Amino acid sequence: MSDLISIKGGRDGLRLRLDASAAWPDLLSWLDQHLSERRGFFHGASLVIDLGEREVSPAQLDEILTLMRQHGVQATAVDSSERVTRAAARSAGLAARPLPRYTGSVAAGEPEALLVIRTLRSGQVLRHTGHITLIGDVNPGAEIIAGGSVVVWGRLRGMVHAGALGDSNAIICALELTPTQLRIADLIARAPERNEVRRPEFARVVAGEIVVDGWEAFKR
Amino acid sequence: MGRVITVTSGKGGVGKTTTTANLGTALAMRGARVAVVDADIGLRNLDVVMGLENRIVYDLVDVVEGRARLRQALIKDKRLPELCLLPAAQTRDKDAVNAQQMIDLTNQLRAEFDYVLIDSPAGIEAGFRNAIAGADEVIIVTTPEVSAVRDADRIVGLVEAAEKGPASLVINRIKPRLVSRGEMLSVEDVLELLAISLLGIVPEDETIVIATNRGEAAVYDPSSLAGRAYINIAQRLAGEDVPVMAIPDQQGMLDRLLGLFGRRRT
Ligand SMILES: Nc1ncnc2c1ncn2[C@@H]1O[C@H](COP(=O)(O)OP(=O)(O)OP(=O)(O)O)[C@@H](O)[C@H]1O
Ligand SMILES: [Mg+2]
Repeated sequence: MSDLISIKGGRDGLRLRLDASAAWPDLLSWLDQHLSERRGFFHGASLVIDLGEREVSPAQLDEILTLMRQHGVQATAVDSSERVTRAAARSAGLAARPLPRYTGSVAAGEPEALLVIRTLRSGQVLRHTGHITLIGDVNPGAEIIAGGSVVVWGRLRGMVHAGALGDSNAIICALELTPTQLRIADLIARAPERNEVRRPEFARVVAGEIVVDGWEAFKR
Repeated sequence: MGRVITVTSGKGGVGKTTTTANLGTALAMRGARVAVVDADIGLRNLDVVMGLENRIVYDLVDVVEGRARLRQALIKDKRLPELCLLPAAQTRDKDAVNAQQMIDLTNQLRAEFDYVLIDSPAGIEAGFRNAIAGADEVIIVTTPEVSAVRDADRIVGLVEAAEKGPASLVINRIKPRLVSRGEMLSVEDVLELLAISLLGIVPEDETIVIATNRGEAAVYDPSSLAGRAYINIAQRLAGEDVPVMAIPDQQGMLDRLLGLFGRRRT
């Protein structure tokens, strides 16, 4: 991954940060590649674009918004220390927020883990670049999409995609693992038809396949 | 100040209009001042269910757009003087009103009635958002079917996001015989998934169909199961400490009787 682009998730959503000194066409082609390689994670996402102290014209902003839209990604706001850039954002109908000037290049640290306590209901999506722990149920029709692993302290009946940025070492565990579908990295598994399981289980990738085991097996 | 309560659902045809008409009538029978509002603009039918269609002169859109005063548009019920209907416009589409107008309208109604019940259109579009805009409380109606419950779950999420929650639940058209045979979701199954408080349950009952065709609420016939169920829901809504009515399994009772006779014969 290029360090010209970083995408980080926090409690208030995803944040796309673009290096302020790199050439614009390079940034666009890096972003294009970045988003197409991680389609499973980004499709349907909305994020804040952090343009730092780059002056971006309305035409340039339009280029990046169009590119993002082609990947199913929506921008919600633009952060920039430059008035020109903020004006471009506002004329594109986006919220624009000022930022302190940066020094040095973009740092790409380890993504944080996210803890959420609630029921995730049909139509709701929880998306984060790091690990996700949900205390509550994931109902049918709800989705969790994580760059890392996913722990559900509750019933998992919806869809979970762990390792959605490509990490096939990610695991998914739940007190009751009866999902409509599970995904780890680029693998997909449907839940097997089975009688009600009422014990904690976890799913991981073994020899190129998603395998579900009782929680005890994890200790090995 | 009255309570503004919106009756809504995700899936269509699950019994919102039936529930609004019967709850409104049951509350008015208890002596409360009740306004029922048809917010299903373009597909009005609360007036038909209540048998008031032929008395409509002005409708909700006329009030919102200032062509009529609220007083002129409200229609008095045939039997209960404390019950009024504000009908929807039949010839306009749902873009004819916006959320702010609904909030203003419900504020006017709240000042004059103890209960304002709003019959919402199904779905998650603008019509639904308008219907909950002025609500203090939301009742979600579902049938015990997987698809209806899934859509109800979606609505619970949207109601919570709009800070109109927590919503309470009415499960309609329960068939006890199917439930006892494991062929229909039970009340417990539905509650386990939706995790919201249960206001009441209503059995499948042909009285509803007969009453609807006559333009009379089923609660006028307290010998009917559905009528009793709606009276029970009205009591609970009014804050009375009564349990959710149990639905007797009539066919099950018959089966047991036949079983008895069968045993006697051998
Ligand atoms: N408990 C019941 N037993 C039998 N029939 C019922 C019951 N509840 C509703 N029905 C019937 O189901 C049909 C749909 O009911 P209703 O019009 O109240 O649903 P709705 O949710 O308002 O529909 P819409 O989404 O179209 O507005 C009607 O024909 C009604 O008579
Ligand atoms: Mg209706």
